[in-house]
Amino acid sequence: MQLTQPAQQANRQSRRARLVDRVISVVFLICAILLVAIILAVIFFIASQSFQVFFQGATLKGFFFGTFWDPTGDITGGAPSYGAGGLILGTVITTVFAMIIVVPFAIGTAVFFTEAAPQWLVRIMQPLIEIFTGIPSVVIGFLGLITIIPLIQKLSAPLTGNLPTGGYGWATAILVLVIMVLPTTMSISIDALRAVPGSVREASLALGSTRWQLMYRAVIPACATGLGTAVVLGFTRAIGEALAVALVLGGSQIPNWPWTLAVFFQPNVNITGQITSNFQETAGTAQYAYWTLAFVLLVITLIFVSISRFLSSRSVYK
Amino acid sequence: MSLQEVAPSQAREVRLSALKRIARRLAVTNSIAMGVLWLITLLVAALFIYIIISLIVQGASTLISPTFYGTSDAGIAPELFNTFYILILTELILVPLSLAAAIYLVEYSPQGRFITVIHFAAETLSGVPSLVLGMFGFLVFAVYLHLGISRLAGALTLLCLNFPLALRLFESSLESVPGDLREGALALGATKWRAIRTVVLPTALPGIITGVILTAGKIIGEAAALIFTMGLFNPGNVFTLNPLIPSDTLTTHLYYIKGPGAGTLSLTSSQETALAAGLSAVLIILLLIINLSARAIGRAIQRRVTAA
Repeated sequence: MQLTQPAQQANRQSRRARLVDRVISVVFLICAILLVAIILAVIFFIASQSFQVFFQGATLKGFFFGTFWDPTGDITGGAPSYGAGGLILGTVITTVFAMIIVVPFAIGTAVFFTEAAPQWLVRIMQPLIEIFTGIPSVVIGFLGLITIIPLIQKLSAPLTGNLPTGGYGWATAILVLVIMVLPTTMSISIDALRAVPGSVREASLALGSTRWQLMYRAVIPACATGLGTAVVLGFTRAIGEALAVALVLGGSQIPNWPWTLAVFFQPNVNITGQITSNFQETAGTAQYAYWTLAFVLLVITLIFVSISRFLSSRSVYK
Repeated sequence: MSLQEVAPSQAREVRLSALKRIARRLAVTNSIAMGVLWLITLLVAALFIYIIISLIVQGASTLISPTFYGTSDAGIAPELFNTFYILILTELILVPLSLAAAIYLVEYSPQGRFITVIHFAAETLSGVPSLVLGMFGFLVFAVYLHLGISRLAGALTLLCLNFPLALRLFESSLESVPGDLREGALALGATKWRAIRTVVLPTALPGIITGVILTAGKIIGEAAALIFTMGLFNPGNVFTLNPLIPSDTLTTHLYYIKGPGAGTLSLTSSQETALAAGLSAVLIILLLIINLSARAIGRAIQRRVTAA
């Protein structure tokens, strides 16, 4: 069939437009796939570095349960020692204690915030939570150094025998973590609570429940999985927190006998603090030891992300 | 009065007093719980306000001194320059990539497994600690790609760190564009890309700007991902646009002063603390500005939506 001149031109134009559309959609697809490529690369490269240390003198048992961390061998001047048990213990203890403090405060505040708080309080809290969710961790670390450490030092003086380094350590790290993690956990909890439809509240109130019964018996159970996600993501954040904690820990080894109360108030270690302060000064096998630590962190966070994903797949209201 | 008349009224009173007891107990529990929640919330609010005010007050005396804005050891001019340089460099890479990915997910991709995979990847990546991402950036960008410890390596690491957040923000801003607009454009014979370019993107623009501002806040505040990829030191001349030189930023400089570099600068200990307090105050003020502007834009969007 013979087309007229303008019709041919229009045909060409629309064919070109379709081609452009096609090319652009492929380019955009590549950008979306890039995200998957990044996370796979992160896992691959860190995993590939992390097993090297076990071919160069470290044993699995020694790494996870040994308590003397000296991958360069500088402290003893002899053979390097890869006992990361103390670092792992430090991370576990600071994270768990921080979350024990964070959870009641975060969920309590979030429930009050969504269910009962007067407008003026909401108007003050909303921007505060947003600002604190993004607060730089070094700033909180600095605050810990100049405000929390002197305070803890004074309070713990009877326990530690007035050490000059008293105040540094797990206790301060826990408080710093609380400040870092509280806003995140709180704002995810608030989102979860807001996703509960009003009909749940109306049904509960219509049955004559008090405010507290409404929260405790209706709203919280309705979004239990959402609150669980908030707690899990809080854990993820606490485990990975680095600079603030590195500034206030101030130790290089776990104290010899860590099962006393005083251990919370003297210079101590955790995983991220050690990586932050020493990773860059090392090379070779010593650096592989730090890669293994990073891999441990990565695996823990991957597990926590999977848990949060599982929880949110189970939740009724999103 | 006969026995039969007394018994029911007594029984009623017994029932009534039992009910009253229950009601009173519920009311007491309720007031205790509400009191505790009030207390907790006010405590948290007071803590937040105290932290912000104390940081600004501690930095106030440094903020008004002119040497603080100079290039000496006690000044932050290089760090301010570097922070904004790295902010712009990162956003230049981040915004096109994440916006393109968001457009693909919202406009082109069919719903289903592919989107789930991308979202799972985004969630996982956003869970990776920034310190670990910093080590990854050091290995891949600085060592394997031979960029060295440089601004470009830092910007690429920040790209990895902020990609999930930017994707989520851009996606939700695109999703908030009403479907009628798209259908109208497509019904007029526009191709998908033309509909996106001329109808969807302009409508989503305020949301996209909010997204850019929020990622800017995260980039300015980030430090752990940068100490291994961008370093803690400045070369002689920082005020260049060369992306291949190492630099520090406001955050990494603050870490350096109070951490590994304490005592190495030509400053006394109290000068160091004053400088660190000034840096903290500057960071807090920058974040306040970012937060306020993001909120203002959000309000503008809402006005436009409710006016339409």
